[in-house]
Amino acid sequence: MSPAIRVAPVEDIAEGEGLKVDRSVTGTADHIAVLRDDDGEFYALDDTCTHEEASLAEGWIENGQVECPLHAARFCLRTGAALCLPATRHIRRHQVEVRDGEIWLLPDMAPVP
Amino acid sequence: MSGQVRRIVVVGGGIGGVSTCAALRSGGYDGALTLIDEGEYPYDRPPLSKRFLGASGGFPLIALRPDAWYDDQRITLLTNSRVAGLLPGEASVRLADGGVIGADRVVLATGGRAARPPIPGADGPRVHVLRTVNDAIRLRASLGPGVRLLVVGAGLIGAEVTSTAVELGCEVCLVDPDARPLAGAVGDRLAGWLHDQHAARGMTVLREAVAYLRDTGRTVLAGLTGGSREFDAVVLGTGMTPAAELAETAGLEVSGGIIVDQGQVTSSPAVLAVGDPARPRLPDGRLGRRAEHWEAAQHDALRAAATILGAPQPAATAPWFWTDRYGRHVEVVGSMADAGEIVFRGAAGDGPFAAFGLRGPQIVSAVAVDQPLAVRAARRLIDRHAEVDRGLLADPAVDLRRLSRRPRIPQDETAVPQESGWGS
Repeated sequence: MSPAIRVAPVEDIAEGEGLKVDRSVTGTADHIAVLRDDDGEFYALDDTCTHEEASLAEGWIENGQVECPLHAARFCLRTGAALCLPATRHIRRHQVEVRDGEIWLLPDMAPVP
Repeated sequence: MSGQVRRIVVVGGGIGGVSTCAALRSGGYDGALTLIDEGEYPYDRPPLSKRFLGASGGFPLIALRPDAWYDDQRITLLTNSRVAGLLPGEASVRLADGGVIGADRVVLATGGRAARPPIPGADGPRVHVLRTVNDAIRLRASLGPGVRLLVVGAGLIGAEVTSTAVELGCEVCLVDPDARPLAGAVGDRLAGWLHDQHAARGMTVLREAVAYLRDTGRTVLAGLTGGSREFDAVVLGTGMTPAAELAETAGLEVSGGIIVDQGQVTSSPAVLAVGDPARPRLPDGRLGRRAEHWEAAQHDALRAAATILGAPQPAATAPWFWTDRYGRHVEVVGSMADAGEIVFRGAAGDGPFAAFGLRGPQIVSAVAVDQPLAVRAARRLIDRHAEVDRGLLADPAVDLRRLSRRPRIPQDETAVPQESGWGS
């Protein structure tokens, strides 16, 4: 586990919105999308859809899922599971925490299988 | 579930067939499930005119599901297998090799074929269609820098092939008698704008029909106004013909497609149909249009599985499709032809923009270019018959995600604006 990365104050990501954290910051293979569900909870997934090249930080976030902005594949925010076609592969999830009003990201640095 | 359904055969391994299998298993069906496909492997068609056509490589690029999925889901996948007929009076199928597979229900997901218009020479050796992975592999071998390509038909396939061929360095001439192809789906104004993108990028765009195609042995001469023009290859993007032969031979009702009810059941109670070949009979008894879209096939599959399992039908949702051309991502939800008024959010041009179709106070459709969230927001508003404020829709500063969400109960009277535009 790598050291935690401070992403932004909580209020910088509104409910239903996402923020892409560049891989130059996270040190991970892919960028990381920090996603805030419409109930206010924060989640973090790899940013690039497992189907084609698209940023999940720009997706539609609702009801525990993020929908890819390109072809509407949906992923579970909690587990990273691919919930519908055209995606068939799960997406990597990362730990995210809120401490003292700040969003902190704990990237999963395990090698890509 | 009807207790006696223990054997289901799905004919056709496109998005409709594979989605039917997935929906049956996720709906709790645990009986025998056989998926029969004529091709080598179930694959996804939308990339055939886009990413797949412009790349190299084969099936793994576009497999609908990984190999292991079929085992995990206990689906018997029979590839390179053709169904020769449905056995009369029952749901079983007879294979071309003579084998018979017994079933309690058959789901026809047979797709369609590329239509060839009645142009003399349309079946020539340098004349391509684009429906299957083999069509795409054959076509891409003919494309490359300097290749003179004639594309006949400027609908979704014709426009996407044109865009991909241009990326590959071809000189493309696009011919369609219609000045605004796709007007039925996106409305006249946006159809005109989309079609204009071809000429704006230097394509030759002709508004006419091709009189003939004559193969010279090395090239094709196309009969166009003012004489013939020479091309290295031709692509026909002139629509599809539903593959309804199995249904027809079995005596099922067929009329411009396999007629199905709202639960995807054909005129035989043991046979269902989904996807491109299925034509719905509407609740008022009239025949609807075949949807011919990727997501529509998945919704058909959900309905077919619900019917077989005796489960509630999924909620209806506005139809949606996308098309990619010249690096622009275009999405359409609902039918712009049904709109009485169109509200633009941003101007049709080089940047992202959207247009919303309204009928009275309700939003009924939307088209977005490089603005996917606009279509996702619109779809939610359409599905719940929301009344919307035109000014809010048109204002690029208004976040459509917030507009489309149901308002929360304000804790403070001033916390949420009280416009009429916050949905029903």
